[in-house]
Amino acid sequence: MENLIVAIVILAIVAVSVTKIVIEKKRGARCIGCPHSKTGGTGCCCNHSAQE
Amino acid sequence: MKIALAGNPNSGKTTLFNAITGKIEHVGNWAGVTVEKKEGNIKKSLNKGNSEIIAVDLPGAYSLSPFTSEESITRDFIKNENPDVIINIVDATNLNRSLFFTTQLLELGIPVVVALNKSDSSKKREIVINAEALSEKLQCPVIETVSTARKKNGLKDLISAAVNVKGKKQQALFEGLEADLTDKNAVEASDKKRFELVKAIVAEVEIRKTSSNRQTRQDAVDRVIAHKWFGIPIFAVVMWTVFSISQTYLGPFLADTFVGWIDAFNGWVEGLMGNGVSPVLKAILLDGIIGGVGAVVGFLPLIMVLFFLLALLEDCGYMARVAVVMDRFFKKVGLSGKSIIPMIIGTGCAIPGIMATRTIKNERQRRTTAMLTPFMPCGAKLPVIALFAGVFFNDSAWVGTAMYFVGILIIIIGALIVVRITGEKNARSFFIMELPEYKFPSLKRAIVEMLSRAKAFIVKAGTIILLCNAAVQIMQTFNWKFQVVAEGAENTSILATIASPFAVLLIPLGFGVWQLAAASLTGFIAKENVVGTLAIVYSITNFIDTEELALVDGATDVAGVIGLTSVAALAYLMFNLFTPPCFAAIGAMKAEMENKKWLWGAIAFQLFMGYTVSFITYQVGTLFTTGAFGSGFLPGLIAVIAMIGCVVYLARKGEQEATSKAALKSA
Repeated sequence: MENLIVAIVILAIVAVSVTKIVIEKKRGARCIGCPHSKTGGTGCCCNHSAQE
Repeated sequence: MKIALAGNPNSGKTTLFNAITGKIEHVGNWAGVTVEKKEGNIKKSLNKGNSEIIAVDLPGAYSLSPFTSEESITRDFIKNENPDVIINIVDATNLNRSLFFTTQLLELGIPVVVALNKSDSSKKREIVINAEALSEKLQCPVIETVSTARKKNGLKDLISAAVNVKGKKQQALFEGLEADLTDKNAVEASDKKRFELVKAIVAEVEIRKTSSNRQTRQDAVDRVIAHKWFGIPIFAVVMWTVFSISQTYLGPFLADTFVGWIDAFNGWVEGLMGNGVSPVLKAILLDGIIGGVGAVVGFLPLIMVLFFLLALLEDCGYMARVAVVMDRFFKKVGLSGKSIIPMIIGTGCAIPGIMATRTIKNERQRRTTAMLTPFMPCGAKLPVIALFAGVFFNDSAWVGTAMYFVGILIIIIGALIVVRITGEKNARSFFIMELPEYKFPSLKRAIVEMLSRAKAFIVKAGTIILLCNAAVQIMQTFNWKFQVVAEGAENTSILATIASPFAVLLIPLGFGVWQLAAASLTGFIAKENVVGTLAIVYSITNFIDTEELALVDGATDVAGVIGLTSVAALAYLMFNLFTPPCFAAIGAMKAEMENKKWLWGAIAFQLFMGYTVSFITYQVGTLFTTGAFGSGFLPGLIAVIAMIGCVVYLARKGEQEATSKAALKSA
């Protein structure tokens, strides 16, 4: 019984972590947690090839 | 309703954006911090109506001519997304330059409201601007704002004015945007006329009691701080002071208390589980998840202090001076003057640093900067630096400072190599950077930046690092038959068998054991993992308050448990800092380079640099300390010579190609 509870706790922690990563990735974060690594949600509107 | 915030670089757009939306986007007291548009809803306290108002913060631009990527972003956004109103943020201390852009915005047919920002600074400088007269001249509302002030900041009036002008027509003062951009003379003639118009307006609305040509105290300070030669030792002293406070004095003091809480939590969970729980599950939860994450999070106070101090340095205007000091060296090695901006941003996180390279127009310089930016130690590498400085070098501040300078040196060497490989050794670039005024740094802004970094660190520790640590613990507990590894037979674990082949390659660097190889490998997922993995593989949950370690393996301290000499530890630290960055940063490099050949070349170059620097550090250091070279000297030397040979071959090939191209051109 104790083992089951600990296993469930570990799985729950892992599930929360994975969910958070998926949410952050969907929001456009390249580095999880980093406040400055998002693409602004709308993506970059500059076009390198247009400048070259 | 959509409002675009547009203005010159460092006119305070992002500060105003944060003030009207309540967001906490990164603000830098220098030009070039914003490279992408940012959106946010205007706060209800400023928005009298019920309709939703979205503010869009655009990168700074001096004009609407699409000559730089920032200006292209601004121009493209205004052209394609057609905002209802443009709030033009004008630096009240530099009206002459700011209004050039204003007159261009007025030509677009979109209602414009001018925010006469930094009004407090202009008053301090005894600059009087008649806002009403300016409004009449420009034929658009002009509102005085101080976006850093809590009260009487003019923001409510600004938003009301923006709402009021929506849909109304405004008269352009000058029609020059239609000039043919390919005709240099036509553009210059049009710009000249526009400058004349702006000059005439400023002469009528502005009174300066002090001439702008007068040498100020700031100029005198800059002559020393941004001096060609004094600038570098001053930067070294500043960084050493920052590391002293964060890693030697205040940081460890705070970390001791913090680590005590983590240990207490670990003990509490262990107590809850009792003796009936399977040792495997216990190890995964206590050693892998709580221990591994705790070992990384234990460095949080040190990192918070460091980021607080760096934010103060940036806000007071010092980092812009560092950019000027470094710019001289970077230009000499074929980099763009703008390359320093991504590199300084990269000290926080390599990814936004790499993304900031898109402001560099020259393709080779942009790709080279994206390749070299990860050599600046980022926030994720700080726990690794703090760990090794604390464990092997008695919390010495010189370790962290030296890592920044070694990073800069590698960047310079790397740029020289790339310029030869690409055959553009005579490339020259010009970069004029506006130096912001020195000011007393905002404690609020530094605290916000520190907390934002702390939150990022905790989120990362609770996600990627947690998962990696759990995986590492499982791989260390089981062998390939999925049986629990017996005590003393750790070499048969999944982790050990994966890491051992890599460990052989690391013998010439002084750390050829599977535990250290495994830590470096997990570091490619996130650099903080180096700390977490070391904690797991050596069963150390606390790298800061190490009193409990006396009983581990009979060693008296962490250094004894890990079993490295201080020279090998320094080599290991450099290997982890200067080999390729984490996968996320490599992804950012891929996006900015837009070329697979460059990307793989960059990764190979980073591996080469990390390996070579680490090899030299270990072998030369061992020679000095023991009188003989370290283990694996000969195979390591052969490997390094082979890599140098490849670089020399590519450089010669590049030179030959450049020569033949030049010959073809002259023919």
